[in-house]
Formats: sequence, C-alpha cells, structure tokens
Amino acid sequence: MSHLDRKLLRDLRGLKSQALAVALVMACGLAMMITTRSLMLSLESTRDAYYEQHRFAEVFARLKRAPLAVRDQLAAIPGVAAVQTGISMQVTLDVPGLAEPAVGLLNSLPERGTPVLNRPYVRAGRLPAGRTAVSELAVSEAFADVHGLKPGATLAAILNGTKQTFRLSGIVLSPEFVFEAPPGSALPDNRTYGVFWMPYRELATAFQLYGAFNSVSISLAPGASEGEVVAAVDRVLAPYGGRGAYGRDNHPSNRRVDDEIRVLQGLSVAFPLVFLSVAAFMTNAVMSRQIALQREQIAMLKACGFSNRQVGFHYFKFSLVIVVAGVVFGIAAGVFLGRQLVDMYHLFFRFPELGFVLDTRVLVAAVIVSSLAAFVGVAGAVRRAVRLPPAEAMRPEAPASFRPALVERLGGARWFSPSFRMALRNIERRPIRSGLTCLALAMATGILIVPNSFRDGVAYVIDFQWDIVQRQTVTLTLVEPGPARALADFKHLPGVVHAEPFRYVPVEFRSGPVLRRLAVQGLPERGTLSRVIDASTVQISLPARGIVMSAKLAEILRIRPGDEVTVRVLEGREREVRVPIAALAEDFAGMAAYMELGALNRLMLDGDRISGAHVVVAKGRWPEFLDAVKNTPRIAGCVIKDAIREGFRKTTAESIGLLQKMYAMFATIVAFGIIYNSARISLSERARELATLRVLGFSRGEVGAVLVGELVVLTVAALPLGLVLGSGFAKGILAGVNTETVRLPLVLTPSNYAFAILVVATASALSALFAARKLAEINLVSALKALD
Amino acid sequence: MADPLASLPARPGPAVPVREPVFHVRGLARRYGEGEAAVTALAGVDLDLYAGELIVLLGASGSGKSTLLNQLGGLDSPSEGVLEYRGANLAAFGEAELTVFRRDAVGFVFQAYNLIPSLTARENVALITEICRAPMVPEEALALVGLADRMNHFPAQLSGGEQQRVAIARAIAKRPEVLLCDEPTGALDVRTGITVLEAVERINRELGTLAVIITHNAVMADMADRIFTLSDGRIVNVRANTRRAAARELKW
Repeated sequence: MSHLDRKLLRDLRGLKSQALAVALVMACGLAMMITTRSLMLSLESTRDAYYEQHRFAEVFARLKRAPLAVRDQLAAIPGVAAVQTGISMQVTLDVPGLAEPAVGLLNSLPERGTPVLNRPYVRAGRLPAGRTAVSELAVSEAFADVHGLKPGATLAAILNGTKQTFRLSGIVLSPEFVFEAPPGSALPDNRTYGVFWMPYRELATAFQLYGAFNSVSISLAPGASEGEVVAAVDRVLAPYGGRGAYGRDNHPSNRRVDDEIRVLQGLSVAFPLVFLSVAAFMTNAVMSRQIALQREQIAMLKACGFSNRQVGFHYFKFSLVIVVAGVVFGIAAGVFLGRQLVDMYHLFFRFPELGFVLDTRVLVAAVIVSSLAAFVGVAGAVRRAVRLPPAEAMRPEAPASFRPALVERLGGARWFSPSFRMALRNIERRPIRSGLTCLALAMATGILIVPNSFRDGVAYVIDFQWDIVQRQTVTLTLVEPGPARALADFKHLPGVVHAEPFRYVPVEFRSGPVLRRLAVQGLPERGTLSRVIDASTVQISLPARGIVMSAKLAEILRIRPGDEVTVRVLEGREREVRVPIAALAEDFAGMAAYMELGALNRLMLDGDRISGAHVVVAKGRWPEFLDAVKNTPRIAGCVIKDAIREGFRKTTAESIGLLQKMYAMFATIVAFGIIYNSARISLSERARELATLRVLGFSRGEVGAVLVGELVVLTVAALPLGLVLGSGFAKGILAGVNTETVRLPLVLTPSNYAFAILVVATASALSALFAARKLAEINLVSALKALD
Repeated sequence: MADPLASLPARPGPAVPVREPVFHVRGLARRYGEGEAAVTALAGVDLDLYAGELIVLLGASGSGKSTLLNQLGGLDSPSEGVLEYRGANLAAFGEAELTVFRRDAVGFVFQAYNLIPSLTARENVALITEICRAPMVPEEALALVGLADRMNHFPAQLSGGEQQRVAIARAIAKRPEVLLCDEPTGALDVRTGITVLEAVERINRELGTLAVIITHNAVMADMADRIFTLSDGRIVNVRANTRRAAARELKW
C-alpha cells in the first residue's frame, strides 16, 4: 500500500460516521435498484422458461361449441404451429369448510398423452385418470393452498345441474394460470375461485359436448403474424359461436405478469435516481469540506511533486471507498429484500419455482452508476483543489466576507439575537451551499412522503371500491345469461333484502389501432348497489345511449367523452357498432365499461336478459341464504364482497405494505444521513469560530445556539419545499407504476405530511444534540492555534 | 545586476562545474491581478545561483522573497523575464513538466511544516520517496536530521522543531538539487531554530545541495555564502561572506 493510500485510510477513520452516512444513502438507492431489477429478471426468466417448457400457447379463443373436425381447419391456417382444443366450463363448487359456493373453472385434459400446449406442471399427486370409480380432478395450487386441499381430498361440483363428488388426484400449475383471478377481475380471489383439470371424456359427457370443443389454444410458427392468425381463427370459428381470438397481450394471466414487470421497471429507475442524487450531493458536501480542511496538505503534495492527477485521484479514492461500502451494503440489502419480495410474489403468481435471480448486469450498472454519482459529487471539489496554485494554497484561506443578512437589511435586525444573526449571515454568505443543504433536507422530507402515500392510496382504494362503488353483500352470477324475470327468483332467495340486475357482455373495443377486450357491464340507470363513480366520487347516471368507461381505458384507447368507439360484441350474434363515450368513471383495479342495462340489451338484440344480480342479504339469514345458493344449480357464482375485500387486504395491501415499510425505512435513513452530515460539516467549518466565541466568554449553550440556529433555519425552510417535492415524487412514481390492472390514486393525507415533518424534525434535533455534544469536545486552545 | 560571485574563486567540492549556474534569472517579474488592481510582487530580478551554495534571501514582509522562492521552485510562473534551471526555460514549462521538476529537483521546507497529520514521521518522508527517482531510504533522511529515534511518531506527538526537521528530511530524501526553505525557523524558538538550521547546513555541506533560505531574521545571513536583500520586488543588496558562520554560532 502506498503511503498516500495509508493517509487515505487514516483520514477516512476520522470521517467514518459521515462516510457511513453517505454509504448508507447510496446503499438504499442501490438496494432498491438491485431488488427491483433482480425481481424483474427473476420474473422474466422464470416466466420465459416456464412458458417454453410447458408450451404456453400464443393465440387463444373461446367459442360456443364446434365439432372436433374443425381442429384440422384451424391447424391448416398459415402460421399455425400447433393446436390444442378442449373444453373449459365454469361450475359451482361445494368446498368443505367454505360456507358459500365457490366457482371452479374446469379444463379438459386430452384422453391420451399430455396436452400439446399449456401443459400442466404437477406439484403433488398426479394428473386425473379417466374411467375411475370416483371421478378425479386436479386442482390449482393457489386454490388448494387456501383451502388446505391435499391429493385424495374430495369436493363436490355441480356439473350441468347435477351435483357430483370428485376426488383430487393432484395439485397442478399451468402457464395459463400463473395469475389466477376470476374473469374480469384484476385481483386474485383464491378462496372462491379455482382452476381444475379433468379428463376430456368425463367433462365433455357431463356437458353433452363429447366430440366437440369450446376452447382453443394455438402456437405460432416462427415469423407468423399473430394478427393474421387471430383474424383467420375468428373466421373459422364464427359459425360455431366464436367469441373472438386474442394473443398473449390480451391473455389475463400473462398481462398481469407483464404489468408487474412494468411496475418494477418504474420503481427500479425513479427511486434509486432520487437516492443516488442525494448521495452524490452528500459526497460533494463531505469531500468539499475534507478538501477545504486539507488545503495546505494539497499544496504540500503538489509542491513536493505530486501531479494534479495523483492528487485528484487521491481524493476521488475517498469517494470510491464510500462507493465500495455503499455497493457492498446495497448488494447485501438488495439480495435480502429481493428474497423477501420473491416470497411475497407467491401470493400472486404461481410458477413451478420462482427463485430469486440476482441480476449481475445490474451489479455492474450499480457500481458504474454509484461511482458516477460519487465522481460527480467529488469532481468539482477536487478540480477546485488541484487548480489552486500551490503557493496560494499554502496560505490559510482569506477570511470570508460577511454582510448583514437580507432580513436585517430590510430592518428586521432588532428582533434577532446576535447568535441568530450569525446563523442568518452564514446562510446568506454561501447561498449555493445553503441552498443545496436546504434542497437535500427537502429531499429527505419528500422521500418520506412517497411510501406513505402508497399506504394511504391502498386504504383509499379499499374504501372506495367496497364502500362507495360496491354496496352489495353478494354478487350472484347465472350459469348463462337468462331472462330478466330471473331477478325475481334472486329476490325470493331467503334473506335477500334488495337485488339489482346486471349483465356482462364480452366485447372488443377498437379505436384506431388499439384493441382491448373486456366485459361491458349493464347496470340499472342509477343503481344503489354496484355504482358507477366519477373522479369526484359522484355517482354517474348511466345514459340511455352511450357508454361509460374507466378513465384508464379511455386513455389507452385515446378517446374522450363525446368520441365514438367501435364495439364488437363477442357473444351471441356477433356484430359491430359505434357507441359514443358518455362519461369517464374512476376505478383502480382493472378496467371496466358500463352501459345502462336496457341500452346494452337493445345493443345485443336478444331481449331483456341478465347475467346475475347484486344482492343485499339480511345478516341473520346468512347461513340460510348460502345454503339456498349452493343448491340452486342455475347460480354459477357467488362472490361475497367482504371476502374479496379481505382477500385484497391480505394480498395487495400486504405486498404494498411490505414495499411501503421498506421504502419508509430507506427514506428515514436518508433523512437522518443528510441532516447528520449537514450538522457535522457545519460544525467542522465553524469549530474555530465557535471556539473563539467560547474563549470570548460565550456559554456553551449560546455557542450551540449559533450552530443549531443555522440548522433550524435551513430545516424550517426545507420542510414546506419537501412536502411539495414529496407530493411531486409520489405523483410521478404512482404514474410510473400505473398499469391497466392496478392503479393507485394519489392520496396525500395530513398524517403523511406530519410523519415526514416529524422524522426530519427528530433527525434534526438528534443531529443538533450530537453537534452540541461535539462542541463540548472542542479544545479551545488547539482550535485557535490550528490554522496559524 | 553584476554577478558578485564571478570575481570570487570557485569553491571546491560540488560535482557540477561551478561556472554553470543552477538557476539563471534575468529581468524576472511577477504581477498579480489586472488593471488598477494589479499588484507587482517581483519587478525585474537578476541572479545566478550555483550548486553547493547556501543562499539567504532577506527582506521585510511583502518584499517579494516568497514570490521569488515560489518562482524558483516551480510553484508559480513568471509574468515576464528569463527563468532558467540548468539551461532549461522554466517559464515555458507546462503543468506536467513543472510537476516532474518539483518531484525530482526541488525540496521544499515550509514555515508551517505542512506535514500530513495522519502519517507518522517516517511515513511522511516515505510518501515522497515513493514518487521520486533515486531517493534515500526514509530512515537515512531522518537520521540526517537527527530524528532516527522519533520516526514512528505522528506529527501531533512531535515538537515544532522536530516537525520542521521531519519536513527537512522529507525535502532532502529525494536528494534534490535545490533545497528551498521558506522561513523554516519562523515558528520556532532560538534553540530549536538552530537545530533546524544545522540540519539544512549539513545537507548543503554533505550533499552539495544548493540551499535557499528565506528569512526576515538578519542574523541568519552569517551562515550564508551570499545574501540577497529584497525590497519592493527588487534585489537591493547582494553581499558575500568570506567565511560562513556555523549555525550553532548564531544568536538572536
């Protein structure tokens, strides 16, 4: 080790707490970058390998029914590599231990061999065998986990009106259901919705579909155009009640995984950027001070023949040591948090194995980015140091020139004590430094706002979605859309106090080149249960003409109220109509479109029909009601609002809660780091001046007031700015993670602001206390002699 | 100005031929600032300095002696005039060449010592020996200034005189051709000051190093071969001692 490096190490020992503060801030930024980037890589690589090994299809279609021979027509479409046909039916389940009925999506498995596409992965047990004494089913892992189902367990399902008992042969996963949510729902509901597999013969026979299929998956030949294949498939399936083919982009499970990756991408840039800028600023502050203190040493080194490059590199190495420490801490924390978050993803995404994959490219990037941050931070200070001619640097710095502070010049002098005046003049003398310190303190405040705005956003979504929008107890769905008089049957179920009908119609929206498929919900004009709400939480009356859609959907389709959108109906008689946009609705999960029920039925040209009803059930008659629902074969689904709300709280809220805690911790570290460093630097710069005051007879308290006064002024100025900055950060980051499946509203509460202020104020107070303690240690005599 | 040494017989000893000066300076001027605010620190200095000489520059504060020393040491560049080191034009040196010049040819001793507080005496010397061509080992340099037994002490553990002797050891460890000392005893008491001057004298005598000492203490002139007195940026007086006093004979 060279002696210059030895000097470096010993100097660093004196700077260790400040260097540590900078390294920690840097580590926070890097940890977030490493965590989010590695999670992206983990999800992407796991997804790609899973899709490939289990042959996830690329084009999907549902239809009413088609004879198996149609399969060959599909296979003959140019660009089609493989075709997997099967049956997929939604049924009502009676799960042991679950009071309400659950919904099962039954998928057929080919009678012989493994499926060509969408091959299931067997986690436990085996795939169901055909022709057994008790029919067998394989169950999806998410559903099995929630209900503690093991191979060998039994459960009952109503198939085409007949209740049948099944034995579970095994627990499986499928690339088609990485994210397992009921159709049209953006949130998983593994309690009342599960996916199952059973042999084709059994399933087809139960629904009188033997020799036919109602679902198709297709893989494409290399270079084939998805759009052309989709169009060709639609043409082939049109006579058989085809509901429109779609590619992976519109596949609900795949889209949800993509959205998550997009969220991570947003987080991986925005947050680390803020943290690393703060770290760069702190490096600059620490190194500027260090270089100022070593002015004479620099001059000596240069006089003795060290080149500018050697001297510059020496000081740059200071920040490199900080970078190394930051990178080491950052990687350790990033890997640790990444592993925690991967476990959290099991709540949403089911892969055969989702391990944490450390993104090594991001490590390299982390080193480069943080070195760059440190370099930017230190470059200016080093340049100033080496530029100084050695002869000049040898002399102590000229005393700084002061003048009365602005407020004093404006006539405010008489209100201030001399020590407060010193603080003000000191701030004004170095406007850039003071400004930057103020900005850093503001950033510390602002960073604290973001994670808590996530938390408040989630709380708002919960209240909004389930108190303002949805006021029913239960949503009941019919097996197939039925006549409007079915509503009377719902009303007659035991305990039902009120019922409102709804209809779901799958459609494709098209505006210019943008396509989106989802269900239009037909609702009463001004319903009291499932309500359509606008951005100012006022209920929208559904017009007799036109459509109301999520603001997000309108944004994606690039249309505004008053514009028309092309709607292709994907159920019943297929047709295309142009419908005007009447208004935009506010919602946070998924995207939706609403029409007045009568208007929707007029569009469908198939009379007054409903898909189900939202109902309110009297509390006392709950068991009776559930029992009746379970034994009504026409009811395919029963979604209990409170169960969904609870599920959301457990999954989404928990995962966002974990992120929120992590970010709040990081933000607190940064806030403390910035303030502590500012206090240390300020103390170091003014040790001599403060010692002089002590010698002149100021008490320790009075001298402390000079030092603390400056910090107080800067902190007080920084707080409001910090709140504004933080609100901006929160807005920007939320916009970055705003996707089609999940959105969080920007909710800024007084308690969020209060928390940020409290943390920064506490950090300032502790730093001030620390500085005051250091003040006691200043050796009065040596402080006065030091710079002779 | 005539070179007063020209008429004197050459002193024996130095390896370099006497007639070739180490520094050749003519009309050297240095101004700081521009226009009305311009300050003239040196206003036309002529001198030749030879190997093995011990030179004292006398002058009041602000007379230009430190500026002259900085010019000789390559810490600053002249505004005009001739400044040659062994026939090479120092005034035309760029930053990189000046760095090499300072590294290999010049040893500096500062009034404020300028030791690195985080390095021990030996390490302070070693810091410099690491970067030059044919240095002494640090221990040897410290022995020359009589600090062999204190070399593992940090600057804060050394007295002022000891610190200044470490600074001299640091300056001479590179075997410089020129030793430039800016008020080396300015912060020291008489007795300590003399031990420091003895160290300079010894280096000058034993290694044949050209030593230039800045002082406002006229007593130190007795130990010099030649004394230049500066005032207002000019050399106003030059005299030569026929006999150099030993440092320990000095009193002030």
